[in-house]
Amino acid sequence: MSGLSVVAGAPGRYVNWWVIQISVTNLTIIVVMVLLFILALVVPFPTGHDEQRDEEGRSR
Amino acid sequence: MTTRAGEVNPDEATDPKNWTNKLRGRLEGLVPPGQALPDRQPVYVASWIYVFGVLTLTSLVVVIVSGFVLSMGGSAWWHVSSLGHFTNSVHLWSVEMTFGFMVVHLWGKFWMAAWRGKRTLTWISGVMLFGISIGTSFTGFLSQSNFDSQWIGGQAKDGLNSIGAGAFFNVLNPGQMLMWHVVLLPLGVGALTLMHIILVRRHGVVPPLDAKLEG
Repeated sequence: MSGLSVVAGAPGRYVNWWVIQISVTNLTIIVVMVLLFILALVVPFPTGHDEQRDEEGRSR
Repeated sequence: MTTRAGEVNPDEATDPKNWTNKLRGRLEGLVPPGQALPDRQPVYVASWIYVFGVLTLTSLVVVIVSGFVLSMGGSAWWHVSSLGHFTNSVHLWSVEMTFGFMVVHLWGKFWMAAWRGKRTLTWISGVMLFGISIGTSFTGFLSQSNFDSQWIGGQAKDGLNSIGAGAFFNVLNPGQMLMWHVVLLPLGVGALTLMHIILVRRHGVVPPLDAKLEG
């Protein structure tokens, strides 16, 4: 419990740029999300050979 | 009315004025046949960007289940129990995951112009779901029953008063906020999630912008 209090009481670190003030934690999360988005676009999705041969862009 | 024991009158069974038949027809027509739980998808769905919708949904299931467990313990349980503390952490981090996945899903769908092909209502229901999810999580922060929730409530009070909402939506009333968090807003989240999923299954996942060029 005392360890938890120390963590909760620690002052946050902030990045200040012009009118923008953001905590390092939030900035890190946003950077990770952008990275995740880019990776989702460029990393090939594993597909079985059957699926690749089949399906000609079946649309509904 | 039945003609004999166990034999249904065919005229009555197809009576269009019968509300049961009308409701059945509407339910059956919600999604095209075979599209409620399809086991195959168009080839362009084989991309990681199409995974984030279902990741959001999966995280939401963890949010709901951990929320159920927290509800059984009561609002103060997580302060006095290690299991309660763990469950509270699971609840918090599954919410973080839900929002993270939801935003990446939103970015993907925005740049894909996912409202194309009569999918306007799918897009709008997603936007509404995003909005009501934010409200649900904010009332969660107000339901922590600690100094953090008290401070957040104090900060939010002035803003809500300034738009005239403070009279009926009192963020300094923890009981009211807890009820919004565990009953009213989750009902909206559940209904909109169901609507969003039905609409996605009804119109299918949106194809990439260059799908037609590929033929």
